[in-house]
Amino acid sequence: MKTRAAVAHPLSALRSGADIAKPILRREPDYRRDATVRAARRLNTASGTLALSVLLDSALEHYRGSFKNPAMVTPLIVSALTLGVSAHGTADRRPAAHRMREIVYGAGALAGLAGFLFHSYNVLKRPGRVAWQNFFYGAPIGAPWAILLSGLLGSASERVRDNKPGRARVLGLRAGRAMAAVSGIGLLGTAGEAGLLHFRGAYHDPFMFAPVTIPPAGGLLLLREAARSGMRERRLARVGMRVVAALGLIGVGFHAFGVQRNMGGWRNWSQNILNGPPLPAPPSFTGLALAGLASLRLLEEHGDA
Amino acid sequence: MPDRYPGYDVLAKRHTPSWNEKTRQVIDERLAVSREPRFLTKAEFETLEAIAARIVPQPSTRPPVPVAALIDDKLLRDRQDGYRFPGMPREREAWQRGLAAIDAEAQASHHRPFHELAADQQDALLRRIEVGESHDSAWDEMPAKTFFKHRLLSDIVMAYWSHPTAWSEIGWGGPASPRGYVRLGYDARDPWEAAENRGDMEAARARNRRVG
Amino acid sequence: MVTVRGINGRAPDVFRPGAWVPMREYSESEPVDFLIIGTGAGGGTLACRLAEAGFSVIGLDAGPWFRPLEDFASDEAEQTKLYWTDDRITAGENPVQLGSNNSGRAVGGSTVHFAMVSLRFRPEWFKSRTWLGYGADWPIDWREMWHYYREVEEALKIAGPLQYPWGPPRPRYPYRAHELNAAALALAEGCEALGISWTETPIATLSAPRGLAPPCVYRGFCVTGCSTNAKQSALVTWIPRAVAAGAEIRDHAMAGRVEVDGNGRVTGVHYHRGGGWHFQKARNVVVAGYAIETPRLLLNSATDRYPAGLANSSGLVGKYFTVQSNQAVWGLSAKEIRAYKAPPSLALTEHWNYDDNKDFFGGYAYMSQGPLPQLWARTQADAHGLWGEALMREMENYNQQVGLKMVGEMMPQEGNRVTLDDATDQYGLRIPKVEYSWCDNDRAMIRHAMGFMRRALEAIDCREIWDQDNDTCHMNGTARMGDDPRTSVVNADCRTWDIPNLWICDGSVFPTVGGVNPSLTIQAIACRTADRIKALAARGEL
Repeated sequence: MKTRAAVAHPLSALRSGADIAKPILRREPDYRRDATVRAARRLNTASGTLALSVLLDSALEHYRGSFKNPAMVTPLIVSALTLGVSAHGTADRRPAAHRMREIVYGAGALAGLAGFLFHSYNVLKRPGRVAWQNFFYGAPIGAPWAILLSGLLGSASERVRDNKPGRARVLGLRAGRAMAAVSGIGLLGTAGEAGLLHFRGAYHDPFMFAPVTIPPAGGLLLLREAARSGMRERRLARVGMRVVAALGLIGVGFHAFGVQRNMGGWRNWSQNILNGPPLPAPPSFTGLALAGLASLRLLEEHGDA
Repeated sequence: MPDRYPGYDVLAKRHTPSWNEKTRQVIDERLAVSREPRFLTKAEFETLEAIAARIVPQPSTRPPVPVAALIDDKLLRDRQDGYRFPGMPREREAWQRGLAAIDAEAQASHHRPFHELAADQQDALLRRIEVGESHDSAWDEMPAKTFFKHRLLSDIVMAYWSHPTAWSEIGWGGPASPRGYVRLGYDARDPWEAAENRGDMEAARARNRRVG
Repeated sequence: MVTVRGINGRAPDVFRPGAWVPMREYSESEPVDFLIIGTGAGGGTLACRLAEAGFSVIGLDAGPWFRPLEDFASDEAEQTKLYWTDDRITAGENPVQLGSNNSGRAVGGSTVHFAMVSLRFRPEWFKSRTWLGYGADWPIDWREMWHYYREVEEALKIAGPLQYPWGPPRPRYPYRAHELNAAALALAEGCEALGISWTETPIATLSAPRGLAPPCVYRGFCVTGCSTNAKQSALVTWIPRAVAAGAEIRDHAMAGRVEVDGNGRVTGVHYHRGGGWHFQKARNVVVAGYAIETPRLLLNSATDRYPAGLANSSGLVGKYFTVQSNQAVWGLSAKEIRAYKAPPSLALTEHWNYDDNKDFFGGYAYMSQGPLPQLWARTQADAHGLWGEALMREMENYNQQVGLKMVGEMMPQEGNRVTLDDATDQYGLRIPKVEYSWCDNDRAMIRHAMGFMRRALEAIDCREIWDQDNDTCHMNGTARMGDDPRTSVVNADCRTWDIPNLWICDGSVFPTVGGVNPSLTIQAIACRTADRIKALAARGEL
């Protein structure tokens, strides 16, 4: 606690890593203990960012779906709770897991899985079954993975936090490497979903290629780091994650422009925020990139990560 | 079943993104159509009103759609269909001749003008014309059956369903530009669409109050 | 409401309210390379392609030049201003209803109010006499058409399925298919219940932004004019390209007579604009007024040398008028359908176009439907025979109704024709008389289609199913193309056999109509004609 200020703001993880060399040089156990807590708190932040994206996106999309099935409020409740416990976790500097957070994160992961099954069922009961039409316009089967990832990252943060001094393990795996792998795969999957929806939009604007090229590249960098052991500087991946995190926020701007480009623009908001590009979707990249950054930091700071 | 879409009024959306300026202008003009005949004579107009009341009977619980006035307006502007069947004169002449002939048929069978007949007498007379049983010389060469189907019936229903009151009753979304629709699937309703009364009248009415 | 807009060196900018774009102007006394009469699917496309090839081009259109964003109301009655409503006589045993779905009067022609269904012909139809035993062969090979279909699909950014279930492979449509509305889902479920394929309709309305045009907002007024500009009509695609490439389009310009000189070549066109008659000189004249106005103009241009009308040595100008059967079956769903939302025909099946085990010639597609209240009320009145309380009750079911409507291939018959009536119109020109009667094959196909569509509605539990047996759509065939001057009016290049600098480029040139909507084929033929004209010009054979 003496070394660094609390990571209170989600964007603080984006801060320059210029001072990171210093902590790497400090190898005393205390600092390593702090490193797992810091990593856990960063993962809380990442999970919360993802949950915020899920909350807004599922609110929008399920409002569009008129909440026909009462179960459609589930992701709103779960992601709101996730957001809450993530804020709690981000502020919490104690090196121990928290029961409530564990429950909510676990519920988030389960809700994501259930959502995936619900959405798959919705797609498969539509005429044409496994057809592009249904992947484009049926319930998006990629979307629930975001809450699942949010839950997974949150659960992992609790496990990382709960380590004994000197250890940084999640389910017996090295935490930094495991989290880098999960975030990397998450980025690839999320890029896949963006790819599907941008394909639906026929890539009519060249910038629509950004989320299907940059995040996968970042995801691959993360996976490479996950495969490499040892406390070393992982600068390229870090830069990559910052670019992806920024892209998630810039994407909102692009989508806002996309809404304006639809008939009636923002004046016709009641149609265009639903039929235009989804404003809350791109920040899920930011959430995953923050998780990637957290795992990279941990890898850099902790010999057991 | 006039309360299928209770309280729904297409006009409530007049100032929402569902209506553009051109639409407001066109509908304003239609709503302001003169209730007095400007092309047809008073007598022809009375006959037309009586016919329209049988073709598209309206509930007495709301202001009527001025069907006859809308047709008179169309004739005044000389709006054409773009085609005629053999033996059919152009729109204006067809209506003048047809109204005269229907009145003559009424006089011949009941010794009264059409608009003074009882509703069932009017219906019976119209049904005769519908199947081409016309006797009076006032028809001249014009085939009564063709007049009924392609002039009388067509013009009256087109006039009635050009009116927002008629749109509201069938739960149509009405004008829709720049805003169209979002929810397209089965049983899918946008908040700016009519809500059907499916058992809970007050819930439907509440939703319909919010379409504007 | 006559406001001439294409004048004084500028044209209306269809993408911006009140705005203008510069337009080249040609003098009447200087002959232009091509004077094209009609600016719809045929003429508009050709004007664009010829102007882009460097020819001097004027397009005449009898109708106004709209800016959809500011001129189009969401109103069926108002939007009848898009239709050709000049006086015409319709006769025969099965008279064709004109003046609305099949007749446009605007720069952009009928494409301003077409349903945007953009389908390719089945390859065999180009040789239906040889391969399928009916109708007449086209003088064009299907593989060449496949190439031009691609060009048009790209030019209109057709939104279509990723795999098309019928016919030879085709490249991916430029834009993705739209979301199916409930009416289309009902069609799909009916097809699946009966074990036949269905697909999303390839359609000329944007599913993503394109330039200044936003994507479709699913307002459902497609056949009364798109005020969004998502519809890829000639008005917002070919015409702006044509103007940018140096073509001049004259709106409110009604062609009355094509002038022929003593050498048997056309010299220009008499047309009515701004209250008086004008004469525009031209080295070539292209008639593209669609299957009624095209033969009418050729017949009205008769001279002592050509007493039967221009390009009519075969006697076939106006003959073989061929429409498509457009019968429907309607029923009520237990679900809310609200078919007024989204383009009316988002799903279709071409199954019966590609199945040859039928006891009649030709084929048909059928599509989902979404009539707006006026059209629906009129259908209930004149096809269902309802009025009075019965009509009012039935209309209340508007949001539950589901319809399937065919586009069927009718047989070309010489007796179905366009001739001149003695009555004259507001320009003093003799009006057309259209005669139409079905043949046994037409009736057999309609019976088959109505029976099948009824089963499809029954399969999805529709109630109160009824047949609409009175409708037709699309008009073709009155100046058919062919290999033999004795049995056709134009050759494969749309050039008239009789007069080498007189061309015809619209649906009139179709020898057969196929079982799909013709607009894509008309535009493909226009693109091919432009390429042929370029090639002929390069060889000095114009």
